[in-house]
Amino acid sequence: MSTESQIQSFRTTYAALRGEIAKVIVGHDEIVAHTLIALFAGGHVLLEGVPGLGKTLLIRTLSEVLDLGFNRIQFTPDLMPADILGTNLVMESDSGRREFQFQRGPIFAHLILADEINRATPKTQSAMLEAMQEKQVTAGGELRKLSEPFFVMATQNPIDQEGTYPLPEAQLDRFFFKILVGYPSAADLNEVINRTTAGARAEVNKVLTRENLLKLMKLVREVPVASHVKDYAVRLVLATHPKTDTAASIANQYLRFGSSPRGAQTLILAGKVRALTQGRFNVSFEDIQTAALSALRHRLIPNFEAEAEGITTDHVIAQILRDVPVTAEAVNA
Amino acid sequence: MLRPTSVSELSQIQAALRRVARRRRRGRAWHGFWRGGLLGASVWGLSLALFKLMPIPTVVLWWTGALGIACAVIGFIVGGWRRPELAETARWVDVQLRLRERLSTALELAANADAGSWRDLVLQDALGQVAKIESKKLVPVRFPKVARWALGVLVVAVGLGFIPEYRSSAHQRRQADTKVIQEAGARMLELTKQELAQHPPVLDSTRKSLEALTELGTKLERVSLTRGEALKEVASATSRLQESLSGLGKNPALQKMTSAARSGRPAEDLQKRIEALQKQLAAQAEDPEALEDLQKQLEQIQQLAQSYAQQTGASAAAARQQLSNALNAFSQSALQAGLSLPQLDDAIAALAAANPDQFLKDITAALTDLDKLRALKDKLESLQAQAEKLGRDLAEQLQQGQVEAAADTLEKLAEKLQAANLSPEEMRAMLEELTKAQSPAGEYGDQIADLLKQAMEQMQQGDQGKGAQSLAAAAQELKDLLQQLGDAQSLLAGLDNLDHASQSISMGLGWGQCQSRGMSFNWFADAGGKGAGSSSTESGLADRPPEALAGDFEPTKIKGQISPGAPMPSITLKGVSIKGQSRVQYEEAATAAQTEAQAALSQEKIPRAYRNAVRDYFDDLKQ
Repeated sequence: MSTESQIQSFRTTYAALRGEIAKVIVGHDEIVAHTLIALFAGGHVLLEGVPGLGKTLLIRTLSEVLDLGFNRIQFTPDLMPADILGTNLVMESDSGRREFQFQRGPIFAHLILADEINRATPKTQSAMLEAMQEKQVTAGGELRKLSEPFFVMATQNPIDQEGTYPLPEAQLDRFFFKILVGYPSAADLNEVINRTTAGARAEVNKVLTRENLLKLMKLVREVPVASHVKDYAVRLVLATHPKTDTAASIANQYLRFGSSPRGAQTLILAGKVRALTQGRFNVSFEDIQTAALSALRHRLIPNFEAEAEGITTDHVIAQILRDVPVTAEAVNA
Repeated sequence: MLRPTSVSELSQIQAALRRVARRRRRGRAWHGFWRGGLLGASVWGLSLALFKLMPIPTVVLWWTGALGIACAVIGFIVGGWRRPELAETARWVDVQLRLRERLSTALELAANADAGSWRDLVLQDALGQVAKIESKKLVPVRFPKVARWALGVLVVAVGLGFIPEYRSSAHQRRQADTKVIQEAGARMLELTKQELAQHPPVLDSTRKSLEALTELGTKLERVSLTRGEALKEVASATSRLQESLSGLGKNPALQKMTSAARSGRPAEDLQKRIEALQKQLAAQAEDPEALEDLQKQLEQIQQLAQSYAQQTGASAAAARQQLSNALNAFSQSALQAGLSLPQLDDAIAALAAANPDQFLKDITAALTDLDKLRALKDKLESLQAQAEKLGRDLAEQLQQGQVEAAADTLEKLAEKLQAANLSPEEMRAMLEELTKAQSPAGEYGDQIADLLKQAMEQMQQGDQGKGAQSLAAAAQELKDLLQQLGDAQSLLAGLDNLDHASQSISMGLGWGQCQSRGMSFNWFADAGGKGAGSSSTESGLADRPPEALAGDFEPTKIKGQISPGAPMPSITLKGVSIKGQSRVQYEEAATAAQTEAQAALSQEKIPRAYRNAVRDYFDDLKQ
């Protein structure tokens, strides 16, 4: 299959996915687009929003359109790591002999819905660290590989909600995107009411198999990126590092820590997927800029001054996007 | 390896980008020109503004103007110097046309051999966008915003040029003073050098005084001095020169010589002039005594000619006949007097042609020539009268202060004594002459009188040789005195120059606008001195009692505008008359003049008779 036909296939698949999801999810176009970008880039997604905005529904719908193994883990304060990873149980064999057997946890699936992840304790939350980064788990003294592709789609309530535990920075960094789910517009809300209070629930079809997804994920990584575009992504990330030569002034003022290198990787990968979804063969500055908020907001740690003044990381990123020029020529122009 | 189609696609993309790059380079040069122009215009405008406000030399404007032009040129060169690279141009075009980095990625990927099929796809995609590139629209030739600013600044600067520059009156006065002081210095230097070259001083003190004067001239010309400083320098030099002069003035012999010099010309000079006039007169009239009669005749002819011009008909013919007769008679007389008047022949011709106007003209011309001849004759007579006054012997010459003649006489006597054996009568006559000269010789100092006495004694003892030596020594003494007189005259000339410079500097007028008050031969008369409006030729004023002059100095009030720039009131004064625009405040000028007058009063430069009048005059001016 030629590259051109693969690209064509990508576009067709993407359009089909958007179409199927749109049968269930009303509005939230950008959220859906970003979720799919993370999917094709092979990254995990953290959806944050107050309850009832359709976060879980979005991920469940996604699991329905993808022909992949799907597990849902409802995070609660009493959830233990073994409840996620699995544990060794004493089992009696046919011969009547008792022996330890590993009982797989819900993490052993292609698509994991970690619902309300911030309701579990940090200990339990951390149980997913190895799985998310290395795509393997160590349980009962044994290393067990997770099957590719492996996606964690987590939802969380805003951290200042009661009974929640903020995710550790290390874990947050492992999420490709952190997507904020906002309130629907009046038109969207009307449509939601129409769809959910009358008639049957829409049926969605599976449009993407595991094999095809893996192929498309591989294609994404082949999309060329010009050096000055890469340089822009790097400069954006460097601008978030406070107290350095490259830091933007707002970063110095409001940030305690800047983005990790995963931030730059995320920007480029997201840019590649977006370029393909838009029918282009190269990544543009705009692709980087569009992905910047979702890719960097959870990777920046604001300082006390920012919290006191109500400055969010989104404010900081928006300002950095304004401050950092795309190229020297663009500045002169 | 690129596919052939990809090669073609790449070259098309590059060609389009090259066009844009060229236009961008030109655009940058154009932009650089105006940026440089703005900078230059700002610098020039600023310097012009400063020039209007502060005393900056005009040359600064020229330099900043040149700098402005240079800035524009440098801006053009710097702007267009660098050739934009294709990759850079591609990135710029991507941003300008929102091509989402298609061109820049395509260019970069074209050079990457590992890009594979992606390279072809990207190139193809980029080529699809190249059609959108219209280099003329993308980089239009237009005046950049900075050009409007540059032109604006230029217009403001040119506008500034029409605003009259502000200069403080003090600065303008200083400048005018400096100019006047420099001119006075230069002229003083030039005149003193001339004096030194023409009359090298004999005395060391005179030479030093004159050299000090040249130094002062150089200082005034080259060193920037204020008016007060310059006047102080001039006053100090004047007092030094006056000291030297008063040193010379103490010599009674010089006083005597000076008064003699004032009373007439030297004997030799007189004789030469008499001979020249006699020659000139003899060339035109053999009998000068007949000139008066001839003139009377010609005046009568002129009257007849005037009446002839007014008559007509028969009376005109009669008048013409009468005129013809008179002319013939006059012609005979002129011939007898050896007078040559070519206008007479013309007049006769004009009469024959019945042209009374021409005839009148010729007669008037002949009359003028006769007048000139008569003037020559009068002058000759006057000189002859002066020559008659010259001393006939040594005693008279010494008495009349004719030192040069006396020295000559003494030399002749010495030669006579040395050369031949004189007869007793001649010896007696010589002794008599010397005895008569003994007393007037005492006025020239004891040494000359002693030398004459010594000569007489030696002659009486028969030692003619020694007597001749004594007489020659006396002649030499007189010649030395003459040279000292020359020194005194040089010093007087220097004083005159200083006075001229002082006038020029204190009044703020050019050298040529000031008139010399003339100091020659008045240097010894300290008691009289020179006063306001007096000249060297006026004598005896100092001796007149103040009450005798009071009537001449009635206070006069002058009405007029007294602000700088306004017309200056014109008043009739005896002395320098100045008309034009006043350049200083009236109060300042009056105060300065009063200060100078006070100084002149305290230094007794003003004649006693005038002092009260001068004080009253300035008091009135102040009021």
